[in-house]
Order: sequence, then C-alpha cells, then structure tokens
Amino acid sequence: MVFSSITFLYYFLPIILLLYFIVPNKLKNFILFLGSFIFYFYGESKFSILLLFSCFINYISALLIERYRNKILSKIILIFTIIINLGALCYLKYFNFFIENINSIFKSNINLLNIIMPIGISFFTFQTLSYVIDVYRKKVKANTNFINFSCYVCMFPQLIAGPIVRYSDINDELENRKVTFDDFGTGVERFIIGLGKKVLIANIIGEMITSFNNLNNISVLAYIIIGLGYTLQLYFDFSGYSDMAIGLGRMFGFHFLENFNYPLIASSITDFWRRWHISLSSFFKDYIYIPLGGNRVNKIKHIRNIFIVWLLTGFWHGASWNFIIWGLYFGIILIIEKYFILNYLNKCKILNHIYSIVLVVISFIIFSCSDMNGVFVFLKNMFGFNNLPFINSETIYYLRSYIIVIALAIIGSTPLLKVIKNKMENNSIFNIVEIIGCLFILILSTAFIIDSSFNPFLYFRF
Amino acid sequence: MKNKILSITFVLYIFIFFILNIIIKDKDVSNIERRKLNKLPEFTFDNVINGNISNDFENYALDQFVLRDNYRILKSLFEFKVYGKLDSNNLYVKDGYIFKIEYPLREDKVVNFTNKINKLYLNDLKGMNVYYSIIPDKNYYSKDNYLKMDYNRLINIANNNINKNIKYIDITSDLELEDYYYSDIHWKQEKLDNVVRKLSKNMNFKVNTNYTYNEYSPFYGSYYGQLGLNTKYDKIIYLNNKTIDNAKVKDIENKIVKVYDKKLLKNKDSYDIYLGGPTPLIEVINNNTKSNKELIIFRDSFSSSLAPLLLDGYGKITLIDLRYIDYNILKDYIKFNNQDVLFIYNTNIINNSDMLRV
Repeated sequence: MVFSSITFLYYFLPIILLLYFIVPNKLKNFILFLGSFIFYFYGESKFSILLLFSCFINYISALLIERYRNKILSKIILIFTIIINLGALCYLKYFNFFIENINSIFKSNINLLNIIMPIGISFFTFQTLSYVIDVYRKKVKANTNFINFSCYVCMFPQLIAGPIVRYSDINDELENRKVTFDDFGTGVERFIIGLGKKVLIANIIGEMITSFNNLNNISVLAYIIIGLGYTLQLYFDFSGYSDMAIGLGRMFGFHFLENFNYPLIASSITDFWRRWHISLSSFFKDYIYIPLGGNRVNKIKHIRNIFIVWLLTGFWHGASWNFIIWGLYFGIILIIEKYFILNYLNKCKILNHIYSIVLVVISFIIFSCSDMNGVFVFLKNMFGFNNLPFINSETIYYLRSYIIVIALAIIGSTPLLKVIKNKMENNSIFNIVEIIGCLFILILSTAFIIDSSFNPFLYFRF
Repeated sequence: MKNKILSITFVLYIFIFFILNIIIKDKDVSNIERRKLNKLPEFTFDNVINGNISNDFENYALDQFVLRDNYRILKSLFEFKVYGKLDSNNLYVKDGYIFKIEYPLREDKVVNFTNKINKLYLNDLKGMNVYYSIIPDKNYYSKDNYLKMDYNRLINIANNNINKNIKYIDITSDLELEDYYYSDIHWKQEKLDNVVRKLSKNMNFKVNTNYTYNEYSPFYGSYYGQLGLNTKYDKIIYLNNKTIDNAKVKDIENKIVKVYDKKLLKNKDSYDIYLGGPTPLIEVINNNTKSNKELIIFRDSFSSSLAPLLLDGYGKITLIDLRYIDYNILKDYIKFNNQDVLFIYNTNIINNSDMLRV
C-alpha cells in the first residue's frame, strides 16, 4: 500500500486513526503494530512472515547480547544476527544479480531463482541492524517488550520507503508519548505537503519524462529536460515520501529525524550528501565509515574507506551495475573534492551551485537508465554529440506544457517557501491561508490520484 | 489554533469520504468513459495471499470514489488554468473543438496494419476490386501548433507497404475541420458529400445526393465527457432518401435493425443512431435496385454514417468491424466472390492496429 493511494488515504488512514485514538495508552503500540502489519500484509502477504521473523530474531538477539554482555558470546550473537539480517537481504535482493554476473564471467549457465524482493527489506534490515549494533555498543538498552519493539520495526509510516529511523531516536517515545493538537496538526501539514510533492509534482514530471521519451523526433533540449526531470522527479518523489512518513509519525506522536535538507541547493557534492537521504548516509557513516577508521587514518586507507562506503551505498539502492557505478561516481567526486577542490568550491558562490547541480543531474541519469550503454547514449545526446537538433517543435510543445510545473519544482526545491513560512508564522491571515492551502493540496492530490484511473474506451465499448 | 483547525478539518474530510464511499451505492458504468466500473473484489484467501487484492481494491476505490467526475473536472481545470498545460489526458480545446492528440506515430503499427490488409487480400480478395482509404483524425486539420503525429509519414508508410493491387483513395483533401463534430471524434454525415463523390469516382458507383435532413440536439460526443469541462455541444443530422428509407438492415444474428434507429439517440452515445453503433458485422440491403453489385467495407465507427450514403450505388453493403470479429471466423458469415471491397480506417486505428483481429 502506498500513501498516495485511495486505499491508504480514505480507508486505511481513517480506520487506524480512529482505533489508535480511542484505545487506552497501553494499547496504542499494539494497535500501531497491528495496523502496520496489516499495512504490510495487504501488499506483501507472502513476506509478512519474514517481517515478523526479522522482528523476533532481532528482539531475541538484543536481549541475549545484553544478557551475555562483556562475554565473547555477545559478540558471537551480534555477528550471527548481522549475518542473518544481511544474509536475508543478500539472498532476496542480490542473489540473482550475483548469478547473472557469474554466468557472464565464467560463461556458466546457472539458473536464476524465482525470487521477488520484499518491499522495504532494505529499510527494515538497516533499522534492525542499527538496533542490535547499538545494543551491543551500549548506546541503547534492549527492548524487553516484543510488541513495542515490533512496533518500532514495522511502523507503517517508515516501513517501506524510510527514512531509516534509528531505535535510539525514538526509544523514549516508544514507551511514553503524547499527541497534542500541535503535533497532530504539524504532522497533517507535513503529510499533505509530502503528498502534494509526490502527486502534484513528482508524478507530473514523471509524465513529462515519459512524453519526452516517446517523442518521434527528439532534440538536445529534450534530453536536457529529461535529465533535469529525473533529478526533480527523484527529489520530489523521495523527499515527498519522507515528508509523508515524518508527518504520519508526528500524527502518532513520533519525531523522526529529517531525511532531506534542500539537497538541490548544495554547494558541492560533499554538501549534497549532507542534505540528501540523510538517514542512509548517516547510517553508513556510523556503522561502516567510522568503524573502518573514517578519516583518522592515512590517505590510502581513507580513500579505501570512502570507496567502500560508496560502493555499498550504490549497491544498497539496487542490484544493478548502474547503482554500483552511481555510488562509485560519487565516491570519486567526494575524494576529488576532499583532496583538491573543496576549498576552491567554497569560494565560488554561484559556480559551485552550477557545478553541483550538473554533477547531480548526471548522477541521476546513471541512476535512471537501465544499463550503462543507455547512460552513454543519453549523455552523448544531451551534450549534443549525436547530431541531434538543439530544439524542435515537439520539444517546444512539451516544454510549453510543463514549464510551470518545472518552475514550481525548482522553486519548491529551494528553502524559499520555508523562509516565508517562518517569517509569517505569527500572522493570523497567513495561518488561514496555510490551512486553506493544505486542504486544497489534499483535495487536488485526491483529484489527480482519482484521474489516474481515467481510462476511456473509445473503441472497445462495453 | 492553526494546528487545531487543520487537524479537525483533515480528520473530518477523510472520515466523511470514508463513510460516503462505504454507504453510497456503487455504480455499474461510467457514462463519461463509456466503460464498466470496477466492483468490490472478493476478499478470498487466494486473492489476499497472491496479492491481487491490493490492486483490485485500489482500482475499485478509484472507480467508485464519491464525486469522482467532479474531482476529475477539478484536475482538468487545474491542469489548464494553473499548470498551463496545453492538453489534459491528451485532450485540448481550440475554437470550440475538442481535439485528442494521437501521438507518437507508431510506424511498426502502421506496417502491422498494412500487413493485416495484405494478408486478407492474398488469402481471400485476389482478383477483386479492392480499395483502401485513410480517414485523418480531427487533429490533422487543427491549424494550431499543438502536437501532431506525422500524418504524411503514416500515409507514406501505409502506401509503401500495402499490396500494389489495392488502390489508395486519398480523401484528406475532401475534408476540413468543420466536417467533424465539436465534441466527438467522428465526422458529420451531412458533410461527407466530397468524400462520397471521391469514392464513387474511384470505385465507379453512382450516388444520389437528394437527401432530406433530420436533426437531433443536443449531442454530447465522447470527448465532451472525457474532458469534463463545459464546452460546445453538437447536433446530429442524419440524412434520408428513398433508398435509405427502404433499406433493410440485418445484423450478425440476422436480426432486422434500422439504418437510423431514433431510439438510440437517447443512448449514452447518440452516434449509435447510425446503423445501431458498434457491431461486428452488418448487412445493408438496397431494396430500390435490382443491381447485384455488392460492397464489403472493412471499417471502424466512421463508416456507420458513411455507408448509408453509398447505398444508391450497390445492391448490398456489408460492413465488417475487425475489432469485434476475428478474421478466422469471418468466413462462417461471408463469402468473398467478386464484391467491391473498401478498407477505410481512421488514423487512430491504424496507429493502434493491434486491435484489428487479423
């Protein structure tokens, strides 16, 4: 079930809100866990047992780690738990990728397995890993209540697309939280903004990309727009989803950490990764990069550490060479920035933004193309090396059709609206406008979702 | 205070629609989209375990959402007025006409179209007088810079691939924008004079243009509902003469139907008045002649209004719609023996030729 669906907005959400707020406090986690399990079961029934199994294994492991604290057994349990977690992830997400590559290198003919990757496995695996590692590191105490712990792992706002919420960030709220109108209202606003970002911007830009990709006669400008479109679509889609998750969490009394901080205004790629998918980069920083020695090692090891982290970051995004190259692409740029150009970048106020956005756009072309050959053809076309016309009538048509959405997306990817909102926080007229605006976005998003089912049969009548 | 109001209105909004969606009776069909709407799926063990239920239920919830058509109007308006989009769901309005953009040109489908005609020709029609013609969709005549497929390329591809014994009759210059309805995909029967003359000249049959005109208004065409905005509607004019009045029409089950059944004007699609609307096979017999000259038209819905105007030239016209009848069973219903044959399709069908069951 996705948030931007009628099933979620007008069936699941009213029911879970009603149940959650009518039961006494001691049952709230149970309702949230049950609702979240149904949320997952509804779309991924076959894998819901896996989710429960993951909750159970990590719950028990953490208790055992704590019980055998300071003994070798606790380390063995930790390693065993990590192997189980990563083993399941590797098998379900990467097994066929490995087989394909073995077949390709050794010309072997090993059959691929009929494996379907469970939705959200990359997210909940990292959450449970962070939990057991943090218990081992004595950063948090093991949770003795299975329902509370499972509520954390399965919590539907962040279950299938993040952000990766650390147990340490919400363990207090798991045990004891209160939802005020301020919390709820702020959550509603954040959820609606996320919904609007997804439905009214990301989906429309996705539609634009499809239109441009279907052109009979394509142009250089069309490729530039598609490239920019990939970046805007991914940003609004993913950050919209994170906004919805954070908003929903708030409606149920949880304060998740931010996952995006206007990454498209970054002044360097180093800065970009401080602002993009923050929960993932901080996970890799805390659980891979720093344990490897971080930057407190010699230059060679430091470069090795960066490469390992970015290889894994790329691979985490999907079982394809595109993602690995995407990760390494960032690794190389970050090393170059760190050792050569970051100081210069910090001095060139406008050029650094252009530099960053160009590299980010190229990165998302790598991310979005199905194979590397497609990436090279795309870049060749985009940079005008394939004798395409710079512009043609079809490009103009779609550019005219989508220019306002592109402009809104560009404005929306800057903190401008946030600055205005902060300045007008105490202005009552602005507050009324904000309420009306939010409700309008909700109604409009519903209209766009409903229209997605519009499917006229001109020829096949009944 | 702001958060309190926002919280309450949000909760009220989703709860009201939650309850309305449950208590308001589901609809069977959408008149606007002219299709059956999804019904509540069965929550069986299998459906739930294999994951079908989530898609089926979402499709149901989308189709049966309360005030669905009003939401769609809001979306169209927002796209045009705020986003400044030039079309909504590929529809746009210019000078009162609603156009649907058929884009891009799918060259493989055009080749596929001609291959299907060639197959029919080689199997059954060799040695007969076989013609084909292409009806441009309304967008062909749009004078503005909206997106258009390359119609000339479509015609060239078709001409280059069609069997050379099949004669092409070009009617593109015999039509103009005013010959199409404002709110519908089709051409107007009363504006087909030039087309009929062109066909008669090339196919060598006689025509009679002495018609009486009958009007029906308002006619809200298929695009009207799809766009969902308040745009111009049309009137349907259907043409009679003695030949048409005396014609006998039989459908595939040998049931007698009418050339113009006025009751069908009240249908969801008033265009159904012409030969009863979509049907796989229909015969129109001219009782005013002793000629045994016959015509077979392989056609789409455009020919429903065209065929009555060709009747003076033939003793019998058989209309075959290959979207509704498979070529393999066609021979159970018709024998090909020296009839004139006309393939006449609009560009949308040619660009989506998979729907022809050959």
